[in-house]
Amino acid sequence: MRYSAVLVDHFLHPRNAGLMREPDGVGADEYDGCGDLARFYLRVREGLITETRFQTYGCGPTIAAASAASELVIGRAVADLAGLKAREVEEALDGLPDDRKHAADVVAGALRAAALDALGRDARGGTAGGA
Amino acid sequence: MGRRVYLDHNASTAVHPDVVAAMLPYFSETFGNPSSVHAFGREAREGLDTARERIAGFLKVRPDEIVFTSGGTESDNFGIKGLAAARGRGHIITSRIEHHAVLRTCETLETQGFAVTYVSVDATGMVDPDEVRRSLRPDTFAISVMHANSEVGTLQPVREIGAIAREHGIAFHVDAVQTFGKVDIDVDAFGIDVLAFSGHKIYGPKGVAGAYVRKGTKMASVQHGGDHERRRRAGTENVSGIVGLGRAVEIRQRDMHAEASRVAALRDRLWAGIQARVPDVRLNGHPTERLPGTANISYRGVESESIVLGLDLKGIGVSAGSACTSGSVEPSYVLVAMGVPLEWAMGAVRSSLGRSTTAEDIDYVVENVEPIVRKLRSAMPVGAR
Repeated sequence: MRYSAVLVDHFLHPRNAGLMREPDGVGADEYDGCGDLARFYLRVREGLITETRFQTYGCGPTIAAASAASELVIGRAVADLAGLKAREVEEALDGLPDDRKHAADVVAGALRAAALDALGRDARGGTAGGA
Repeated sequence: MGRRVYLDHNASTAVHPDVVAAMLPYFSETFGNPSSVHAFGREAREGLDTARERIAGFLKVRPDEIVFTSGGTESDNFGIKGLAAARGRGHIITSRIEHHAVLRTCETLETQGFAVTYVSVDATGMVDPDEVRRSLRPDTFAISVMHANSEVGTLQPVREIGAIAREHGIAFHVDAVQTFGKVDIDVDAFGIDVLAFSGHKIYGPKGVAGAYVRKGTKMASVQHGGDHERRRRAGTENVSGIVGLGRAVEIRQRDMHAEASRVAALRDRLWAGIQARVPDVRLNGHPTERLPGTANISYRGVESESIVLGLDLKGIGVSAGSACTSGSVEPSYVLVAMGVPLEWAMGAVRSSLGRSTTAEDIDYVVENVEPIVRKLRSAMPVGAR
């Protein structure tokens, strides 16, 4: 098997897949030239991520990356998430083959976008960072 | 280890035990070079000749019209480049859904001054013989159309295309790698001048294949060296492989018709089962004029590689219609040429059945496809559907 046991487990049993009602931040990313896309929804309390949901379309590693990342971000500061690196997502999967690195890229991109959305809402007087 | 189901026979097959048995002596006691004059060489030559006669008998052609090569790709290169090299210039007609062994060979010939027309296919993946006729030019010297496409299994109207070639005195090359030993081939009735076939698609070994070349066909050698294969393809013959190919052909001659009906029934059982359990599916390829063991099924809105991975984890081997490499997903060029919409083409999965496939295998696959596709669809953004 060219994929790690962690990746396979996330692919077979994705955590936090699905929609979220009234999220504090939403972000999506699509990989150029590749149909893969991911969308993340964030629940934020006092600047920290308390809950996340994702939807994704793509090959197995993309689904697994989204699932692994959804666990990775719980409890993190939104501001910190806005700078999430693809490498961190890849590490959470115990690595990706060279031709599947984009799975981590698209997931990290979607999470960064969701974090920026949450920060923007907060700056406009939303609830993301406060309450 | 759990259950394993192999549904990728269009990619390769397990070597038949009788084929292995036939090959074994040619690795040890009968190891000579068939070009050598001594007894060691003569014994190897005998094995080579017997295989050639068997294959010629199967195709109802002369033994000296069979040339052995190292694979289906070489056979296609041998045929098309050989026809082109004998002319030096001119025009070739082929189709958009040929195997890369033909397409890239033709593209290479274009860079060398040859002209190539790539005819289209209809929604079932079939070439229109009238389009072939309309594409003829005064300098057309060859038509190359595959007998059946490996991805969707559609059988091409080779008889009609062959008649056009013959009417105009043009050589007709047919890539029959997917049909040889699976469906009937009549090189005379189909008007075929050069035919490519392979060993490992029919329970023979990898690394051995061949071409039929009608006597009198103007061809030039593209591989130079010794006088092997009547100076048409230089290089010491892969004797053990060729003996294996000969035995594989013998077994196909005996089994192919019974197996074709058995496998076609299982293929239809697969499609019926999936259709009954999974919403938003479609069958790609011709409904009837199709390889007996091939079912190319699209799952709308799901990415095919994720289905392949899901099935792989259940011990099932199928192949994806789209390939995601280095960040670019390419839907199958065959499905694109057939006009299959992108949302369907991206979710195409090919199952190809063979002699080991059982009804239990098919039921196991059907049982497993449904939850995999349902789960993948549930994680999908609405916008991607």
